[in-house]
Amino acid sequence: MKRHGYISLWLLLVAAFGLMAWGSRYEKINIFGHDFKTASIFEELTLPPQLDTAVRSQSLIDLLVRWIPDTVLTEEECPSLVPKFPAEVDTTAKTILFFGDSMLEGLSPRLADYCKRNGHKLYTVIWYSSTTEIWGRCDTLSTFIRRYKPDYVFACLGANELFVRDIKNKRKPYLEHILDQIGDRPLLWIGPPNWKEDTGINDLLSERLEEGTFFLSNGMKFSRKRDGAHPTSASAAQWMDSIVRWMPGHCLHPILMEMPEAKGRPDKLILLQPVK
Amino acid sequence: MVTFETIIDNIGRLLSYNPGQPMIFSSGTFWALFIIFMPLFGLLRKRLWQMVTFVVAFSFFFYYKSSGWFVLLLAATSLIDWTVSRLMVRTSARWKRKTLATLSIMLSLSVLGFFKYANFFLWNWNQMVEGNFQPLDIILPVGISFYTFQSISYVVDVYKGSVKPTQTWLEYVFFLSFFPALVAGPIVRADYFLPQIRENHRATHTEIYAALWLIIVGILKKAVIADYIAQYNDLIFNNPGGYSGFETLMGVIGYTMQIYCDFSGYSDMAIGLALIMGFRLSRNFNFPYKSKNLTEFWRRWHISLSTWLRDYVYIPLGGNRKGTVRTYVNNFLTMLIGGLWHGAAWKFVFWGAMHGVGLAVHKATMPLTRRLPDVWPVKALGWLVTMLFVSLLWVFFRADSWGDSWIIIRTIFTDFSLDYLEPFVTVRLTWVIMMAAIIVAHALPARWVDSLSTGFVRAPWILKLAVFLIVVQLVLEFAGEDVAPFIYFQF
Repeated sequence: MKRHGYISLWLLLVAAFGLMAWGSRYEKINIFGHDFKTASIFEELTLPPQLDTAVRSQSLIDLLVRWIPDTVLTEEECPSLVPKFPAEVDTTAKTILFFGDSMLEGLSPRLADYCKRNGHKLYTVIWYSSTTEIWGRCDTLSTFIRRYKPDYVFACLGANELFVRDIKNKRKPYLEHILDQIGDRPLLWIGPPNWKEDTGINDLLSERLEEGTFFLSNGMKFSRKRDGAHPTSASAAQWMDSIVRWMPGHCLHPILMEMPEAKGRPDKLILLQPVK
Repeated sequence: MVTFETIIDNIGRLLSYNPGQPMIFSSGTFWALFIIFMPLFGLLRKRLWQMVTFVVAFSFFFYYKSSGWFVLLLAATSLIDWTVSRLMVRTSARWKRKTLATLSIMLSLSVLGFFKYANFFLWNWNQMVEGNFQPLDIILPVGISFYTFQSISYVVDVYKGSVKPTQTWLEYVFFLSFFPALVAGPIVRADYFLPQIRENHRATHTEIYAALWLIIVGILKKAVIADYIAQYNDLIFNNPGGYSGFETLMGVIGYTMQIYCDFSGYSDMAIGLALIMGFRLSRNFNFPYKSKNLTEFWRRWHISLSTWLRDYVYIPLGGNRKGTVRTYVNNFLTMLIGGLWHGAAWKFVFWGAMHGVGLAVHKATMPLTRRLPDVWPVKALGWLVTMLFVSLLWVFFRADSWGDSWIIIRTIFTDFSLDYLEPFVTVRLTWVIMMAAIIVAHALPARWVDSLSTGFVRAPWILKLAVFLIVVQLVLEFAGEDVAPFIYFQF
């Protein structure tokens, strides 16, 4: 080997590359209980190039219109203004289960205000650093559904997976399992408040969720906390207000959401620590 | 279902120019290409002109991958420089040679000026005349500052007669486009590099593995440490005043280490890759944060740039031959140009100017400081003052605006509390460990670092493979989803 430095170095580089390429066929490799990340060689070579879908355009226009107060567009000029679900608002009091990631820290207090005003019960489950994969890999959601028997489910998940490569393929099974657990209960899934363009979580949610059950938050402007990701509590409250304003006419299952006059709080707040 | 067409399409996409994704040495694409490059290079090694042609073709592809069709600009620049240099040796009249050299330098500087400084000058002009500024849609070719300086030094050296012009354009373009040093240096000097082409040295076993060690260290510094600690530093610099004084100070210290790891790591990789091919590039960093004064710092930091500035700016301005005041002025002007070289913004000019002032102050106080005893407290004080000065100026270098810089500095001095230490360490333990590791590694005696390299060279092949794999795995483990771009690409 010593006399053939080039060959031995070349073999070293090839062997290392080969091992990495082999490992890249798996999402993670578990050795002695530790998950090792793998390279993206296999997926870079074998996956068809991602095509941009236009699923977000309609909802984005809605949001833009709402954020530009002086803009007056007719329904003919902007078809997305036409209410898609002019169903009557369900005025009965609901039992709401609100589950998701740390974004609920900001959203849940404002939703609690609405619940207090409108007679709904609210159970909030915040699982820090959670993703669709984490919720979809277990039956934790089913446990809470059995425990609180909600007749309406709110979800806010996706912020911790904005930049996952090939997310549509990787997360679809987990999303399916989450939806199976929710069953036929009315659902409203609040999309993550993007601080950068995502790699497909919003597209995945838009495509898979029934129309009127997904609120696209991407494109909204937020004041954010120091970490640059979480909206400030004031901004998160405005976010919740926007969702509530969107619900009549656009949400598949609109419920009574009169403007709150006083502070409320969830009937139960459960905090789950990040998965290690 | 994976189809052959999909794989071919994906390979084509990976090998195409993708704006915003320049090919860097720590990327998988480069690694794969280098695996293909190596055996072909080894086969052609003995046939000089075939080897030169092959490396030039690879370098052009490398540049295309990073900068698209600006590769044609590189080719044109090299052709003009080479033609001028050939004309210069055929001309005996001094004024003609001078005119040719001036024209070539002016052309190089004009191209650099257009791509790098046009918007800066337009903006300033509009500020003065209160016009409506509309920035030109100009894309900065990657590495143009580096290869322009190489081309200028070549033309000047040929004019002065210290370098013989190459017989062929191929040799010259090999020098100018040599891919390890093309996009981020070190700035290669013709008198040092050109003789190596015909020397056609085959790297020894020791050199090859010393080079691999350099690459491994470079990957660790650039792709593991710099990219990871950058995530925190970016939070601080993107939100000045949004964090406590302690956290802001950590961000400033973090950036001080980040820019060193980023740039010196990339230089290490470049030097290592060249050495594998049998070419020696000069050392670019020599433990700069061990410096005990600012003059020493500039002898250890970005050495290829500081020596270039010394030889092609400072000395032609008169150096230290025209009295004390002119020496200071020359020093100041040289650093001002050095600052502007880093970027088209007043913050870089200020950064360079302050280093110029610092160097002048150091030179002016040397009669006093030389009388101080050579004991460790004095050395430690010198080191501390130097580090404070350098780190403080990095704030202006990194922050988006003048106002942001002052907010950051003010926050450190007005909102500092050690109460943040414990939660900071708890929440950002990995960041702290990385910072501690790089500070300790930087403080190690040079001979220890050398002995690590020697140990790696002597290690069994399988151990080398294991070390390489561990480093690559560390890159994967720590890589953010959005990799921080290499800081010096845009300079």
